[in-house]
Amino acid sequence: MSQTSPPLLRLQAIAKNFPGVKALQRVHLEVNRGEIVAIVGENGAGKSTLLKVLGGIHAADEGDIFIDGERQRFDGVRDSMQCGIALIHQELNLADNISIGENIFLGRYPSRGPRWLSLTDKASLYQRAAELLQMVGLRVEPHTLVARLSVGQQQLVEIAKALSAKARILVFDEPTSSLTLTEAERLLALVERLREQGTAILYVTHRLAEVTRLADRVIVLRDGEHVGTLRGEEITEPRLISLMVGRDLEALFHQKSEHAKPGVPALDVHDLQHDNAAGPISFSIQPGEIVGFAGIVGAGRSELAKALFGVDRQRGGEIRVHGEVTQIRTPRDAIRARIALVPEDRKLLGLILPMAIRINISLASLPQASWLGWLNRRDERRLTRELMERLAIRAKHSEQRVLELSGGNQQKVALAKWLALAPSVLILDEPTRGVDVGAKQEIYRLMRQAAERGMGIMMISSEMEEIVGVADRVLVMREGRIVGELLDEAINEQNVLRLAVGAAQGTAA
Amino acid sequence: MNLESTTSELKHKWLAHLSDVSVQVGVMFALLVGLVLLTGWWDPNFFTPYSRHSVLRDTAVWSLFALGQAVVIIGGGIDLSVGSLIAFFGVLTILMLNSGLPFPLVVLLILLLAAAIGAIHGSLICGLHLQPFLVTLCSLLIFRGLARVITHDKTVSFNSSQQELFRELATGSWGGLPIPVLILAGVLVPLGLLMHGTVPGRYIYAMGYNLEAARFSGVQVNLLRTFCYALCSVLTAMAALLETGDVGSVSPSSAGLAYEMYGITGAVLGGCALRGGQGSLIGVVIGMTILRVIKSAVVFLNFDTYWTFTVTGLVLLAAVIIDSVVRGRRTGYRH
Repeated sequence: MSQTSPPLLRLQAIAKNFPGVKALQRVHLEVNRGEIVAIVGENGAGKSTLLKVLGGIHAADEGDIFIDGERQRFDGVRDSMQCGIALIHQELNLADNISIGENIFLGRYPSRGPRWLSLTDKASLYQRAAELLQMVGLRVEPHTLVARLSVGQQQLVEIAKALSAKARILVFDEPTSSLTLTEAERLLALVERLREQGTAILYVTHRLAEVTRLADRVIVLRDGEHVGTLRGEEITEPRLISLMVGRDLEALFHQKSEHAKPGVPALDVHDLQHDNAAGPISFSIQPGEIVGFAGIVGAGRSELAKALFGVDRQRGGEIRVHGEVTQIRTPRDAIRARIALVPEDRKLLGLILPMAIRINISLASLPQASWLGWLNRRDERRLTRELMERLAIRAKHSEQRVLELSGGNQQKVALAKWLALAPSVLILDEPTRGVDVGAKQEIYRLMRQAAERGMGIMMISSEMEEIVGVADRVLVMREGRIVGELLDEAINEQNVLRLAVGAAQGTAA
Repeated sequence: MNLESTTSELKHKWLAHLSDVSVQVGVMFALLVGLVLLTGWWDPNFFTPYSRHSVLRDTAVWSLFALGQAVVIIGGGIDLSVGSLIAFFGVLTILMLNSGLPFPLVVLLILLLAAAIGAIHGSLICGLHLQPFLVTLCSLLIFRGLARVITHDKTVSFNSSQQELFRELATGSWGGLPIPVLILAGVLVPLGLLMHGTVPGRYIYAMGYNLEAARFSGVQVNLLRTFCYALCSVLTAMAALLETGDVGSVSPSSAGLAYEMYGITGAVLGGCALRGGQGSLIGVVIGMTILRVIKSAVVFLNFDTYWTFTVTGLVLLAAVIIDSVVRGRRTGYRH
């Protein structure tokens, strides 16, 4: 590559703000023909925002985008596509009821005959599709329906589609996250081949092994800031990890507990197996202990929570609550065994948004606020009032509909609903997702308070600072299994990340 | 999504203190009173004892299956099998009575059969995750067909000595009120207590809004949904018994035709949202009264009877539009 020609794509000082959040600040990025640039960072570091700016989905607030040295404005997806940028999304965007060939040329069907007839030239469509499939190494007839393909094969079709649109810059967002090992290997080989053919590639991933194998350069983001660029020999897992983490969090978090009380665990799970995981899984949580469950998205933590709560079917193993063996087949069984779950998706699973705060708070504990099935409205109102005060839920009154509340207050209502039950085991799946910093702090305080009352708390979180700042003990999951346990001083971001991404032992200093 | 709204946007503050549903029930009640007064003013014969009796009687019978429909709709489902079940149960009732079975036993058997059919609807919907619309649409076809098969598509009528008792129950009066009205009251009061005063009632509203969130709150959603369909079929069977007793014969191809649509219309007039979670049982009875009064009003106002459907449709459309406008005023939405 000659030094004088401008890079194919250059981002200069890109910044993007959302209300209350600086999603991206002064991000610089360059990529040349025949080069792979990886973008890494924790969840919430700004990777997705950066990709959306590149794809024309978000407009940058500041900074410039240059293609071949010329300044460009991206006002929409179309602008980005016309500059030769193609995004290969994590969620595939293919129509699965039509054929591979039709998907590749969707909206750009080759035509024949007079234009006003707009006849599709199927023969040339499928011939060109077959050539593209050969390029990406997918040995399937282009007439095949996309629905018949595996996720990995669909990803190859996406790439073929991008190539057919004469894309010069391919942007991959976590391309291997839902692939099997062999499919992933095939994809990595294809990415390398595309580089040799002169395509410019941006590659976002959690998997550091892929970064060290593929990347010519790595951009590290943290909290929306561009904190470093590594080149060639500098790209090693320890250096990546130390760039990705490291900051002062103390203020947000409270004193950790002086270790769990010894004795009978609040929750004791032995060899649990369920439909959606590799399993078997064993662990225990003492009363008064907050156990953090860390891992990358898709490591099987939410699935574990759902199996414990009786939403997903269990296939074997034993669950004890305060030493008593319990059979959990439905959420009702779990509630009877005093296990509570605040699910990740509060809008769809945790709350009934169009109903009043009172109705939401009392929903799980109604059998307690009733006599032989009759509602005791006075008890219900008292319970609601108490919890709204204890959790400092800010609302006009208890009859206000939950959908009118802020995200933080909604989450507090979801929490109140389960605290009303005074459970033995409280499972929190991403307890502070989409919640502002103030509410975050209050939720941490409430969690600590609940633990002090003797609850065992299982906290699933993808926010590293939350895991490190809140948990008394950390269990790290990868590919459906618990792969490590961290205690005391060992709870730091390097160790968690090392276990979560499966880096070789001893690479993290 | 434009879900977020604040009271500061409210243009009419006094409206804000009432729930959406109670506002709609109020509007419907005003409409009913207006309709009754208009019809009676045009033709005072509308107020004769005979006319009054038949309006009240029909309203009570229709309200029975409409209440069942309403409970299903509040719980997030729909039941299209109502009209066909009216014909099917009617035919069975007459055949069983004519074969000499005692009247109380026939009633018991019909109600048990109804509960079983409803339970099957519920199990198919919950167990196999089938759509309520499709499952009950199949029943609409199956039971209409069965009614015609067992009768060879001929109208069946009573030849039983027990007919008098049966007829008295369906058409007689007690204390100045048609007996079906008393039966309706006997259903409405416990049903109202169930829906508004008990834990399962609260759960039915909750799962109508958000089935998954209800499941995640420990609600036994499969059991409750099955109960809703069973209840709807049982109330439909009660309506079928009363209808059969009144008419004295059942035409398998036309009995109960489109009654599921009456029930749905009445439920919507009564404040039920078709996506579930809302509705008032009193509102449903008011809604069914409106439908029945329209039927009479068309006659008394000297229209041809075949205008009934058109007028009913227009009233429903007007109700939906008024509801949407009122709701918009209350929450500050733009239309």
